[in-house]
Amino acid sequence: MHSSVVQAINDHQEQLVSNWKKEMARVQEEYFKNSLPDDLVFTNNEEFIDVLYSSVRLERSEAEGKIKHFAERLIQTDWPLSYFTQGMQAFRRIVTAYIVPYINNAEEDSMNLIVEVEEWVDAIVNQLVDDYSDSWVKTLELQQMALNELSAPLIPVFEKVSVMPLIGAIDTERAKLIMENLLDGIIQHRSQVVLIDITGVPVVDTMVANHIIQASKAVRLVGAECILVGIRPEIAQTIVNLGIDLSTFPTKSSLRKGIESALELTQRKMVRIEHGAEWRA
Amino acid sequence: MRIPILKLSHYLLISVQVDLDDQTALQFQEDLLSKIHEEGSTGVVIDLTSVDMIDSFIAKVLGDVVEMSNLMGAKVVLTGIQPAVAITLIDMGIMLEEVPTALDLEQGLEKLQQELEG
Repeated sequence: MHSSVVQAINDHQEQLVSNWKKEMARVQEEYFKNSLPDDLVFTNNEEFIDVLYSSVRLERSEAEGKIKHFAERLIQTDWPLSYFTQGMQAFRRIVTAYIVPYINNAEEDSMNLIVEVEEWVDAIVNQLVDDYSDSWVKTLELQQMALNELSAPLIPVFEKVSVMPLIGAIDTERAKLIMENLLDGIIQHRSQVVLIDITGVPVVDTMVANHIIQASKAVRLVGAECILVGIRPEIAQTIVNLGIDLSTFPTKSSLRKGIESALELTQRKMVRIEHGAEWRA
Repeated sequence: MRIPILKLSHYLLISVQVDLDDQTALQFQEDLLSKIHEEGSTGVVIDLTSVDMIDSFIAKVLGDVVEMSNLMGAKVVLTGIQPAVAITLIDMGIMLEEVPTALDLEQGLEKLQQELEG
């Protein structure tokens, strides 16, 4: 930045800061309706103005580090981004209004001065917005990952028998994921029978049914079998009312019955253990 | 490029280790049918574990081979179809509904035994 502007900003620090604080008090009242706690606003304002001034004095990289640090701390406490942008705008208003009359050298064009201040302020605003949006993107990615992990697990319950519980609505994207997890899981666990449990699926329409049918056909191709379990009464009604043909598809009302028939398919069954003779004797 | 066909008592074993192109697939169809004729085999296992791409023509040839072999009195089981291949086939609308499948060669042989007994 031009040295005369820096000089002026430094020289009039006291006046600028007090003007800025007045402006921020107005912003806090008008824009945030005094919803932000006063003591926090006070300390944040102090630090904010400190960071602003250091960005004038320090080297570019050093100043960027300081702004980043400040932004990170406030992101963690959920401080609104608009508070920063409002603050920066207020500062720009005050600086341009206050400084310009003081630097009235013949060679200095006041338009140039304003442009310089704008550039300086814009750079800081951009950095703050970038920092904030980066943190939002990161949070979103983490949530997406967590969601995918929870989306379609294949659980091996017995040798050659696995269960895939589905919970929540199924869209095309998720159906794809379900199919991939299902097939990879079958190979990995060497399952012969897979039970797809739709107890937790709120709505089964033609699209969802179609996805499930496709998945079961793919399962057959890799050499396993699919049983649809957990069909609630209302789901059975929708399926028939919509005219979806699931007749080629083995279905069971509950997971328990599904497991029984899965064991049957793999030539096994559950038996009750008789207690030893010593208790009968 | 010819795909080797191995004989194991009454069965024939085929492990496809190369990417199937149209020519190879048709050659394989002829070879398998004449082998069934020669040996009088009752069961065939075609293992596709190392195949990671099947197009619609190859899928059709495979379906045809299964049907033709059945006509000649040999049951066919396809084994080891990879997830990616299964997804592609389903996306193309090729269900291979009439073809028995199994997870791997071992289960394929078991399945063949069941089918022949049952």
